[in-house]
Amino acid sequence: MRPKFARQLQSIVEPTSPRRGAAEALKAPGGFVLPAQPPPELSWQQYAVFLLYVAAEIEHALLVQYLFAAYTLDESVVDEEHRPDVRRWQEIILGIAKEEMGHFISVQNVLRLVAAPLNLEREDYPFDSEFYPFDFTLEKLTRGSLSKYIYVEMPADWTTPPAEEVKALAREANHGESPNRVGDLYAAMIALLSDTTRIPDDFFVADTTGMQASFAEWGRNYKSGARGNLLTRDHPKTPELIIEIVDSRDSAVSLLEQIAEQGEGVGAVHLTGEALELSHFRRFLDIFNEWSAIGADFDPSRNVATNPIVDADLPEAAERDDEEPDPCDPVTSTITDPEAFYWAHLQNLRYRMLLVDLGHAFHLDGALGSTTEVTARGEIITWTFTEMYNLRALAGILVRLPLERGGDASKRAAGPPFQMPYTLELPNREVDRWRWHRELLRTSIALIGTIETLDPPPEPRGLAYLKALRESDERALEMIEKMIVAEQTKLSARKAAKGAV
Amino acid sequence: MKRGELVEIRLLPPLVVARLGASDVPVDNYDVIVDPEHPLAFRTIRPAPTFIVDTDTGAITGVVEREPTFKDEQNRVRPVAPFIELWGRFDGGDDWVHLTADDVDADAVRWRVHVGNVKVTRRTGDPDDRIEADTGWFSTHDRLSLRGECANFVAGKSIPLGYAQFIRPTADFPHLRLRFTPGSGNVYGSNRVTSGPDPNIVDQVYDANKGRWFGYSEPTSPIPPIPAFTNPGAIYAGNDGPNNSWVSFGYLDDACDGIIDVELTAGGRTLGAFARVGAGAPAFAPDTFPIRTAADELEQILLGPDVDPADYSVEELQQDAEEILRRAFETVRLMNTAYMNGNDPRNIASTMSRQDNGDTGRAFQPIMAPTLVDTLAVLNLHQGVFTTLRSGAPPWFVTVLREFNEIGDLTDLGRRKMPGMMRNADARYLVLTRRQRDKIRLAANRTNGSSARATQTGDPADE
Repeated sequence: MRPKFARQLQSIVEPTSPRRGAAEALKAPGGFVLPAQPPPELSWQQYAVFLLYVAAEIEHALLVQYLFAAYTLDESVVDEEHRPDVRRWQEIILGIAKEEMGHFISVQNVLRLVAAPLNLEREDYPFDSEFYPFDFTLEKLTRGSLSKYIYVEMPADWTTPPAEEVKALAREANHGESPNRVGDLYAAMIALLSDTTRIPDDFFVADTTGMQASFAEWGRNYKSGARGNLLTRDHPKTPELIIEIVDSRDSAVSLLEQIAEQGEGVGAVHLTGEALELSHFRRFLDIFNEWSAIGADFDPSRNVATNPIVDADLPEAAERDDEEPDPCDPVTSTITDPEAFYWAHLQNLRYRMLLVDLGHAFHLDGALGSTTEVTARGEIITWTFTEMYNLRALAGILVRLPLERGGDASKRAAGPPFQMPYTLELPNREVDRWRWHRELLRTSIALIGTIETLDPPPEPRGLAYLKALRESDERALEMIEKMIVAEQTKLSARKAAKGAV
Repeated sequence: MKRGELVEIRLLPPLVVARLGASDVPVDNYDVIVDPEHPLAFRTIRPAPTFIVDTDTGAITGVVEREPTFKDEQNRVRPVAPFIELWGRFDGGDDWVHLTADDVDADAVRWRVHVGNVKVTRRTGDPDDRIEADTGWFSTHDRLSLRGECANFVAGKSIPLGYAQFIRPTADFPHLRLRFTPGSGNVYGSNRVTSGPDPNIVDQVYDANKGRWFGYSEPTSPIPPIPAFTNPGAIYAGNDGPNNSWVSFGYLDDACDGIIDVELTAGGRTLGAFARVGAGAPAFAPDTFPIRTAADELEQILLGPDVDPADYSVEELQQDAEEILRRAFETVRLMNTAYMNGNDPRNIASTMSRQDNGDTGRAFQPIMAPTLVDTLAVLNLHQGVFTTLRSGAPPWFVTVLREFNEIGDLTDLGRRKMPGMMRNADARYLVLTRRQRDKIRLAANRTNGSSARATQTGDPADE
């Protein structure tokens, strides 16, 4: 956790147990009890915003880790019999990652509702997990990492088998520490936002709804049962993507309750008693149980490096690191394969573009409007989805390229690094935000050119993708130029109007 | 080389599509290709070898390859006039060959072209409204007019439905083939008019005293629907009539379809074959393909709704998924998607929003989030999906495709499924064929486990 976050938590943390303190202080037996006072520098309202900030970061971190884990799954590394299982697991985890994206966006809506700045950030390396579920780790799916995911999403009172086995594996995979349950944080937020004595009604600003994300725009039809059954239709009990516009205390609390429920809840139940929707916890646990039935040594993932990163420069010499990583040391794996190096930078850049697009969308009004014209909001939302697709493509390429120069991808593949950019702040003026996009696109086009001219060249399908990506970027640039002219014209008109007065 | 005895004949292709046009010169052949350097661009139209036919002699006089134009100097649409080739199989062989005048005696080859336009009969139920043209059997190389005659026409009047011509084999072009040239794309009317000369029609052919097509009416929205009607009903030129009826102007057109028969005698046996021909409207966006084409329908009819994975490689399935995405963004650029979305209720165009409203009373309201449906955004989104597919990523969007049994799902989510905002022939939402959908499902279901790059050591698991 970043020091600026940890500092605010210290006031409610047991001094003798700094690592576990945060969760313990927020949770009392039988339910959640708020502390008597907020931290000295924070009002209750500021404290609520702070918890939402933490929640946003956690959702962001979880979705990236789940995405990474899903991308490492590969049916081609297992025998024929288990390929359908691996395909299905991958789909389930990708579905959960999408739901985490929904949580992430929904928390931004609540931040909008309380007139607070958005938080699109995420913990990056080096990492610490004071209040966070577990150390942020991009790693291939193993029974250990899966156990961590189950742990953070599990209900507090889960004790039935294989609870003990899962908890032990999760601790082992988290350097001996028990992960923290996400549910605790949501319990804290729900309790605080529900408390009319600490949080007054005017904390909730209803006229921010136009600047929030709506399901119609962001939901992409992912309603109940729509995911997890893509391939075989035998796993239809998936919940819906939760993205709601909130306009009051009640709707905000309801939204947070839904998110908490989607993580660990038992879900909706049909009259027959059959579960209609499966929480993240249940779906992860299903995978765990199926995996156990196949055998604990079953390995459905590519050997993708843990925490892959790229430096600014590509090392000239082959620097092979053949040492096994220390499981207690939060290592990063530096990508030194020349081709993977540039693909990884492109993946980082497109990840940044996704976050910039998402942030920009929240600055554009019009969630509830009707229009017959091109809207910046529509374009930006579309771009955000397009970047999600690009991340899928780039991850698919990177898990098949070696980590190290001269290395063997089947033994240690690079993987998508998902490194955070130096800033996610957007310029203040709309015209400058479009210039911001323009710079990112130009950088991407230059990077595409670099990859295209590598010697030896990338595989044909990689080149085919780059050609389409470049063309898509060039078209986006054309549109941006028009947006810049339009915004500049508006600015000039405003200046002229001021002059006339 | 002397072949054995001819034992079977076929007309190929077995189905040809002609496109109406008033120009004397048919459109040249062309290929529609994707420029590999510009995968998101329009398809490129490339010239292809084209026969030049002397219609007086029926002989092919040469082959040209030139930039196709779709209208002539007088701004008349050039028709698409397809050739139908006579193929045969000889005793002792499995190969089918395009027959030449060396293989069979061209004078002994007999053709018959029988086409009709029964659109009016379909509505009035009157067999005397059938418009038909029949060449009878012929072996000459004259260009034969297809005079569309009808019992309910004014005496001596007919509608030209085009021409049939048995191409004269020559030393340079000895193959046996027939050319079908469609009608001009004109509109014809009745001998009874409501007021003054009608600028839409080129001739008054229909005798309103004999038939009832002029003034014929259908209820616009019969409840329950009448199966014999088109769906939606009343899709002919006309005016509002009493009691929500739609009253026909008595218009007719020169579209048609029918059968081309061929017979010949070989070795004392008469062999026969036939092909189907249809003549429809010109392609006004020839570089753009609909999401669901007649070819997709035919493939499903021939091969079934389910795809056998053994029939396709992963790459082929991936290409099919890409092709559907390409067609999607090609279609998008032809549409005003914001308008199709029902965003502007002041002028209610014929959109799916209106259709939902008219047919079922559903509220007239946008289908998609209004901000998302400007053409550029929709185009970008589909191109983004397409771009990702190019990387080899399996398609992940099967669940947003509309199922064939969801065409009447008018919930918000049902209406947002893909293909979006487009009407099928049954008046409800467009769906892909089950076979198209199954291909995408299979493409999603099969990953390509090959390495992004061959490693130095190689690894069997990655092969």
